[in-house]
Amino acid sequence: MDRIQSVDRRVLYTLIFISVIIPVMWPLHLPTPETPEARAFFDAVEAIPPGSVVLFPFDFWPSTLPETEPMAVAGLRHCFRRDLKVVGLSNVGIGGPSVADRLLDSIGAEYGKVYGVDYVNLGYKAGYQAVLLGMANSIAAIFPTDHRGTRLDSLPLMQRALNYDSLSFVLIVSDNAMADYWVALVNARYGLPMVAGVTAVMAPKMLSYIHTGQIKGLLGGMKGAAEYEALLGESDMASRGMDAQSLIHLLIIGFIILGNIGYVASRRRPSPARAG
Amino acid sequence: MPELFSHPFFTLLPTAFFTLAIFSFLYRDNPFFKFAEHVFAGLSAGYYCGLIFQSVINQQVWIPLTQDERWLVLVPAALGVLMFARFVPKIGWMMRLPLAFVIGSTAGIMFIQQLHGMVLPQVGRTILPLDSVENVLLVIGVLSTLIYFYFSKPHTGPLGWVASVGIAFVMVAFGAHFGYTVMARVSLLIGRIQFLLIDWLHLAS
Repeated sequence: MDRIQSVDRRVLYTLIFISVIIPVMWPLHLPTPETPEARAFFDAVEAIPPGSVVLFPFDFWPSTLPETEPMAVAGLRHCFRRDLKVVGLSNVGIGGPSVADRLLDSIGAEYGKVYGVDYVNLGYKAGYQAVLLGMANSIAAIFPTDHRGTRLDSLPLMQRALNYDSLSFVLIVSDNAMADYWVALVNARYGLPMVAGVTAVMAPKMLSYIHTGQIKGLLGGMKGAAEYEALLGESDMASRGMDAQSLIHLLIIGFIILGNIGYVASRRRPSPARAG
Repeated sequence: MPELFSHPFFTLLPTAFFTLAIFSFLYRDNPFFKFAEHVFAGLSAGYYCGLIFQSVINQQVWIPLTQDERWLVLVPAALGVLMFARFVPKIGWMMRLPLAFVIGSTAGIMFIQQLHGMVLPQVGRTILPLDSVENVLLVIGVLSTLIYFYFSKPHTGPLGWVASVGIAFVMVAFGAHFGYTVMARVSLLIGRIQFLLIDWLHLAS
């Protein structure tokens, strides 16, 4: 039992690495059952009339790409598949706008979409509260130019996307408190319907917004992204990662059980002083 | 020769190197980890300076002034400049003007946001008919947790029993948060391993 209590942490790290490497190299195709929140997310996007303009905040740092990128990719595919017009922006300066640019261009190209007509990337603007509130009056006043420096009045899509009144929906992908600001500032004040894809750390808190009806659907972490991919009939980055996710969870459960067994055993054993 | 170095193995080499350098800390602290850490800090600081110059000074001050002739922009710009008054002791007090604006406007926005966007909807959603197990659990959970955080009376007798129910709900919430946090951190590891094995080494598809 003493050995259980004094296992070198590097042994645990090695086991965790092996649990990731094996399913990445040889996929196990474990099932990922859908949750009501992910289904609601999918249904909400399905319900938007084709041709509507959707605001798509890429509010995440590059450090959380394994969780957020699959959601953003699946969300963009869903939007373009339904012929929705996408206005992207980011309230995260480092990495956000460039990731948005890369994903909008690559997924847009898959569906033959044209920049300025079917999608636009507004880029980043400092002062998120002022940005969120200011866009209610005029998007062009907050973003005079897009991420590439093109004036908004020369982009056909932005003739239709003037302020929140001309938008139909917000599809948030976020790894930070920006998701809260979208809900508490934009949904609460302007009633714009929205769904959110967030990192797993944020998911428990965001579930309360589902309960109040402030967001219509929720994707939580890589699991949520995998569910969304499955609902779209695709098997992409998140689905591939879920095998490793499941294996590691089993391993960690094993660690916790073993650790507790060792702990209980060490407490029951009489101390050398008492035994002597 | 240039074609060789445009191969994805070499273009992705810096990313792979820094990933492995950071992972090496799991064994023990070492010069590769230190190097990666310092490069990250320096690059982030430089990138952020450039970003702020572009998105604030250029886009929000210079372009509106020179292209749109929006002279009103000079007012917030002047307030912004006053932030640096603290570096000149004689006029340091002038920094209070922009700070007062920032504190006042942020407090106003946050008050509306918290009350209108969070507190009222959440409270409203806990006023429920007790006609299902879910609703009963929700109401008991909210009330008992609130009582657990009521500190003006000792938690003894009936108040103590209810508070102990509240702490049970809090523990369940902590457990859920911990589980989700494990999932989040594991996802980041999976992302890096996928990069190394799939994108860099092409050992899997």
